[in-house]
Amino acid sequence: MIVAERKPLAEILANVQNVNKLLVVGCNTCVAVCLAGGEKEVAVLSSALRIGLRDTNPNIQITQRSIERQCEEEFNAELADDIAAHDVVLSMACGVGVQTLAEQFPTAIVYPALNTTFMGRPEERGVWSERCMGCGNCVLDKFGGVCPVTRCSKSLLNGPCGGSENGKCEVDPKNIDCAWQLIYDRMARIGQLDRLLEIEPAKDWSTSRHGGPRKIVRKDMVL
Amino acid sequence: MKSGSNLERILESGVFAVTAELGPPKGPDLKAVDEKIELLRGNCDAVNLTDNQTAIVRLSSAATASVLVQKGLEPVMQMTCRDRNRLAIQADLFGAAAMGVRNLLCLTGDHQCFGNHPGAKNVYDLDSIQLIQMVARMRDEGLTQGGDPIEGAVPLFIGGAANPFGDPFEFRVIRLAKKVAAGVNFIQTQCIFDLPRFKEWMRRVVDQGLHEKCYILAGVMPLKSAGAARYINANVAGIKVPDALVKRMSDAGRGKKAQAEGMKMCAEMIQEVREIEGVRGVHIMAVEWEAAIQPIVEMAGLLPRPIMQVDAEGDA
Amino acid sequence: MNDHRIVLMGCAQSAGAAIQELQDRGQALPDNVEWVRMPCGSSLDELHILRAFESGADRVMVLACYDGACRSVNGNRWAEKRVEAARAILEEVGIAGWRLAFQQVAPTMAADIWQWIADFQALQPPQDATPDAAQGAESEA
Repeated sequence: MIVAERKPLAEILANVQNVNKLLVVGCNTCVAVCLAGGEKEVAVLSSALRIGLRDTNPNIQITQRSIERQCEEEFNAELADDIAAHDVVLSMACGVGVQTLAEQFPTAIVYPALNTTFMGRPEERGVWSERCMGCGNCVLDKFGGVCPVTRCSKSLLNGPCGGSENGKCEVDPKNIDCAWQLIYDRMARIGQLDRLLEIEPAKDWSTSRHGGPRKIVRKDMVL
Repeated sequence: MKSGSNLERILESGVFAVTAELGPPKGPDLKAVDEKIELLRGNCDAVNLTDNQTAIVRLSSAATASVLVQKGLEPVMQMTCRDRNRLAIQADLFGAAAMGVRNLLCLTGDHQCFGNHPGAKNVYDLDSIQLIQMVARMRDEGLTQGGDPIEGAVPLFIGGAANPFGDPFEFRVIRLAKKVAAGVNFIQTQCIFDLPRFKEWMRRVVDQGLHEKCYILAGVMPLKSAGAARYINANVAGIKVPDALVKRMSDAGRGKKAQAEGMKMCAEMIQEVREIEGVRGVHIMAVEWEAAIQPIVEMAGLLPRPIMQVDAEGDA
Repeated sequence: MNDHRIVLMGCAQSAGAAIQELQDRGQALPDNVEWVRMPCGSSLDELHILRAFESGADRVMVLACYDGACRSVNGNRWAEKRVEAARAILEEVGIAGWRLAFQQVAPTMAADIWQWIADFQALQPPQDATPDAAQGAESEA
């Protein structure tokens, strides 16, 4: 899932301090699951903004809404009237949702309330970590289901480097496991250690974002 | 001969090699480089020029290596994968070869979070093993990574690093085997303070016959003081100075007395590793202490350094 | 000295029982102390705290059970976490953190609650603090 977190309030306040009518829109898919931009977070943020603006902008009108999934136009369509009736839209969706709103309502001013960070999984309640950076050419079959591109701080395909200590990555030993320790342990458990003797050649990064923003067209699906 | 470099000739001939390090300045100040060159001249067979070590920006290894060539001291250029993609790396290697650089150490490179530009974009287009593979192909097949013929020759003696002390321990020898398979010619290890662990690593290396497929130089580092030893333990990943050695340093006293003890300990370590099967030389990392090289190499009984005779065709 | 509006939020088991005892004794809470009774600390959300400040409260105190006493096991710890979250948000929008308090309490501690409210009422901003948004709001009221 996409994981995001709320921007510092000072940043959000700076963007809305002179707004008359503000529409705060949440999204009930990924960002609700990571407790950043769902319906509840919309309520909390709106209340915080009202408190933060009561000296400088006490007459601000804040409308709270939330949408099933902000990256799909058919769900956003129900916002058309609200958007027309407000000066600024503060979207609590991930970057995709914010951009979808902006594309769908090109005369609207749409600001993000979140910093979208990564594709990852929940590890335990309140903790999410990155797992996939969308390289476009999945090699998880070669590394025991642990992604070296995403989880190794240096994206080494023939790791580890000298900074692996006690199974942790020297970049942030408290939070980052050494991906190559994980790979080694996993491959040992599934009896595939010998595969690590093979040299993985230089990666073709053109399938990733390095090759430019990507698009997938399923011709069999387009009428 | 892969490159005809002095280092290669020394190792080929069976002489125990000595390499040292020169840290380039944090700017284009060549005066600092000149001073260090004169401290090292005649006291080692080749000198490593670090490449933005610990992600702190310095005069480039390529430029510094060129200066050393001009001044008649043999460089080992270092290249990390952190800062350059494969295009820039190949262009810099063309440049190095054109300027007479003949030794290259291929490294992954410390992450930029450790240095003075932590917000920089990550490159790591290649890892160190893919880099070794690419350079070997450039040299032996005359082709770029993309497959185009190279105009001119890239005669580089290819080195890599090895860390006998990192985790996972079982995997370290496998990684060395991969570097050998990729085409590495020589290895410089991380500095040795834990002699038993190094001996165990070498035993496994020799077991696999890897010592005959590449030249292994043992890394050593002279300690300047007990404080320096403690700093290393606290801050440098991959190096652990045992308590006994820290105590020896603090017992020795301060200033010049501590330095003398540190150099003596280093010379002793060199003599120890010389006895280990498979070790073909030593790499002395006297960080910002190039003046220590001459005394250490002398105490270790390794002076004078041989000058390899080069015949008309460029072979020893 | 009953100048500041205080909202008191507490769970029924501990705080609720103690407040009930105060009322049984004829000790009504001061006029500008609003008592909000929650079924359990686990039903607290930072939104409740923010709404209290939004509606003009000068300070908010949250009461929950001691560790091990909560009948929902972790409701009291949940409440404490919500208080921390609310305090962080309040600081970000210019309301000083000392205006939000959290206390663990047992049903027998009616007298302590009475004292805490009095102390909280009397609490002054730290000497070196710049005036925060709540003080600004109050002085205009």
